[in-house]
Amino acid sequence: MKTLKYLFLVSLLVAVFIPASSMAAKAPVVIGLQGPITGPWAYEGEMAKQSCEIAAKLINDKGGILGGRMIELRVVDDAGEPKTGALAAQKLVGQKEVVAVVSTYGSSVCEPASNIYEKYKKVNIGYGVTAVRLTQRDFKYFFRTCGRDDSQGKFFADNVPAKFNAKKIAIMHDNTAFGKGLAEDTERALKPMVDAGKVQIVYYDAITPGEKDFRVSLTKLREAKPEVWYYTGYYAEAALLVSQAREIGVTCPFVGGNAAINNEFVKIAGLDVAKGCYMTNEPLPADLPYDKAKEFLNAYKAKYGDIPSSPWPIYAADALNIIAYTVDKTGSMDADKLAGYLRKDVDGVPGITGPIGFTDQGDREGVPFYIYVVDEKGNIVISK
Amino acid sequence: MRVAVEQIINGLTIGSFYALIALGYSMVYGILKLINFVHGDFFTLGSYLGYTILIFAAAFITAHFGLWGGIVCAMLVAALCLALTGLVVERIAYRPIYPAGRLPAVVSALGASIVLQNAIMVIWGPRYQAYPAPMIPNLHLLFFGINITLLQVVILVFSFVLMGILYYIIQKTLFGASVRAMALDRDTASLMGIDFNRVILFIFTLGPALGAVTGVMVGMYYRQISFTMGWNYGLKAFTATILGGIGNIPGAMFGGLLLGVLEMLGAAYISAAWKDVFVFIILILVLIFRPTGIFGETTAEKV
Amino acid sequence: MDDSNPSPVRRLHLYETILLFAVPVLFVVYPFAVNDYYIDIGFYFGIYALLGLSLNIVLGEVGLFDLGHAGFYAIGAYTTAILNTKLGVPVIILIPVSALAAALFAYIVCSPIIHLRGDYLCVVTIGMGEIVRLALINNFLGLTGGPNGVYNIDFPSFGGSFVIDSSIEYYFLIWIIVGVSIVGLIRLQHSRIGRAWNCIREDEVAAGTTGIDVRYYKLLAFVLGAALAGVAGNIYASKLMAVSPESFTFWESCMMFCIILIGGMGSIPGVLIGAAFISLFPEIFRPFAMYRMLVFGVVMILMMMFRPGGAWPRRRGGADLPSLFSRMRKSHDG
Repeated sequence: MKTLKYLFLVSLLVAVFIPASSMAAKAPVVIGLQGPITGPWAYEGEMAKQSCEIAAKLINDKGGILGGRMIELRVVDDAGEPKTGALAAQKLVGQKEVVAVVSTYGSSVCEPASNIYEKYKKVNIGYGVTAVRLTQRDFKYFFRTCGRDDSQGKFFADNVPAKFNAKKIAIMHDNTAFGKGLAEDTERALKPMVDAGKVQIVYYDAITPGEKDFRVSLTKLREAKPEVWYYTGYYAEAALLVSQAREIGVTCPFVGGNAAINNEFVKIAGLDVAKGCYMTNEPLPADLPYDKAKEFLNAYKAKYGDIPSSPWPIYAADALNIIAYTVDKTGSMDADKLAGYLRKDVDGVPGITGPIGFTDQGDREGVPFYIYVVDEKGNIVISK
Repeated sequence: MRVAVEQIINGLTIGSFYALIALGYSMVYGILKLINFVHGDFFTLGSYLGYTILIFAAAFITAHFGLWGGIVCAMLVAALCLALTGLVVERIAYRPIYPAGRLPAVVSALGASIVLQNAIMVIWGPRYQAYPAPMIPNLHLLFFGINITLLQVVILVFSFVLMGILYYIIQKTLFGASVRAMALDRDTASLMGIDFNRVILFIFTLGPALGAVTGVMVGMYYRQISFTMGWNYGLKAFTATILGGIGNIPGAMFGGLLLGVLEMLGAAYISAAWKDVFVFIILILVLIFRPTGIFGETTAEKV
Repeated sequence: MDDSNPSPVRRLHLYETILLFAVPVLFVVYPFAVNDYYIDIGFYFGIYALLGLSLNIVLGEVGLFDLGHAGFYAIGAYTTAILNTKLGVPVIILIPVSALAAALFAYIVCSPIIHLRGDYLCVVTIGMGEIVRLALINNFLGLTGGPNGVYNIDFPSFGGSFVIDSSIEYYFLIWIIVGVSIVGLIRLQHSRIGRAWNCIREDEVAAGTTGIDVRYYKLLAFVLGAALAGVAGNIYASKLMAVSPESFTFWESCMMFCIILIGGMGSIPGVLIGAAFISLFPEIFRPFAMYRMLVFGVVMILMMMFRPGGAWPRRRGGADLPSLFSRMRKSHDG
């Protein structure tokens, strides 16, 4: 037993002190990625890391930027937690060779981290951070490639009730920052119609993420007799929700937010249940007429077997792309120059998720939305 | 009325999961006075193993033994593997630490829980995994207009059978008496010739095996598993254990079922978002008035 | 208890004297030698040290199993966040206010449950911590901002002239508070209260029969512990400028519990070692990427294998920090 103990200890020490550095021949351009590599959102972190690696590889295969310098990705883990996120940010800003950072998943993790990036003057581009307030702080170095909660909420209010000719609407969220934000913004966007008596919100409640049993909430929802049901959370719960809802006899159309439906959703819920489910979403990469999207998705699929199961990793890849593009165009590593260029001169640059441009606040310009539906074969296509 | 009955059946189903996990907690606690934090992760690991077997061996097994054959096979293999894992964890993380008292073992248990959870993440990847739908029976039953699935019935019946068997072993057999004696007073029981190691062997194989079976059932019931789910179930099951009276086998069963039903009623008649708050408030109230749980005996502290 | 036997005053060992002076010097010099990342690690080490000290009162001194301490921490942080952002109360004034709020909360929720023993108390504290966290997520009274939390919290400033906003200033703020707390707690350990606490820990029934008001002293421990956790919450909130429920999970409570046991029950130097372990190791293990927490768990088990009593257990009349101080005082007096 004693020997075993020491064996443990020694192997651990060896593992800690094995140097893990490798030197490249020509100084690479280092771009940081802060994401949840461990913790409850680890699957998002993993996909973001994979996406950024693919994006960097595609650039490097074409000869890199600035006349032959390669992109090097430096990943730091924030565990999906604000304090660890702040430390991760602090670690990255201490590394002078890191030009800019793709950061991060989750608005409440992003908040303290972006404070640090701002203070130490490092361009940071969020990829899974949709809280409206993040870009209302007049930050100079903060941008995001994803949309905001309120744009999607407004899209829902403008289009979904009309499409289904629905007067009674149920809204359900999952008490995460993203899900709740979207639900609140949708409620706000619906308010004028509610006041005018055109629609009625018959159900508004939250479920708890990580739970598995939603039959109770769904029974309540069933008794409220909605004509359309909007769920603003993630696919993991969405799949359970829809299957359990159909089990207990909820028949109204299901509309998910842009994190609710993907291939995993179809897999978990099963085709019988999944077909005919709707979602509000930015155009899916497959629907984009851009070469960049096809190129990226093919490369990702070739390496990992399937495309990312949520929209966020693709925004991460786009964030990396736009950083590389800006460094290449300005020929500079200076944060002020980069931020200025991103704000003023980046306009309609082709990205995986469509043309990229930023508003003065740092929001993505013009993220369009569509209503998608799962078809008979389980593909997710634009609903006619 | 129809809705209420449906809710209670849902609550009983989830409650039977809690009860089965709680049994593992309660047995370990009874003997070692240790909050076995790793138990929730035994449950997760069992669920993942069952998933793997269904995915890889399913075609063969299901072809030869039918739908239920595949499920039974998945449960058996998961239970066996977990019994083994339980022993290994006990040997590595707990045995060297017993002599130092119960609190260091709590830290060790937390450490083991972190290791197991992250090992699952590394092996199977951090994504959600989905139990293969064709491998799971999917039949709806209607009793007098009450909507319930075949799977729910099977899970409920099976859980009650398992609990019944365990209850029989612990309460009616000679070996069960030795386990209870060990829980009551370890030193005296040892002096009476009861082998401590045999009891340990029993609780650290049976507890995790029960957890594994529950894991497979949860996987089938919800079709979707994640590497962090053990933490949540573990916390609930531990709460159930305390609610029933810790170290008390019938108490753990009752506590689990009660917790499940309370949770569902809280969600149904208060608010889904506040249901856990409701459950914990009930727990605190119960403990204020019955400080050793519902089934706990109010024994005077040894001086 | 440590003073109960005024045995001949032993002279300090050389290494004890060196430690006693070298460690504080190290803490002062450290931030001037490293960059902001390492200073921030030092800062979070300080936060965990303060949380460890606060839980040490409840768990280490009195032996009450508290696995919901993150709840008190959250109350402190959210009190600061809400009063500062809604009413504009300066953060520095909110330090005592947060402490009071957390203490009051502890008093109210612990009064009815204080008679519970051992693990029953433990699960009630878990429940309490979870209730707090869920209330925060569900946007309690419309004040807590739900899962997004509260943001735009000010930096602490002294009369508007001196603003604490850099890493190094925060580092000194937290460590000065930790230092003051340590001195206070050492004095407490050697007071009537400390002795009553230890007596309850060793044998509650015996303590009761010797006339110690067990209920009062247990509640006092919870109230004081919560107050210190509230202070930690205040500083944490202003450092991050934002608070959200993810920071106050059951997991966080478990980590505080580990601080005490890894360091050694009731031992103040032990708390520092435990806090160092919890805050430094995940950072040291960063190169392991997704294996990071795996390694962390293994190390936790190893720690308990090799030092089940903690890294620096409290020894009666031995070489723990409190008795060092008391011996020094005695040698001065003498």
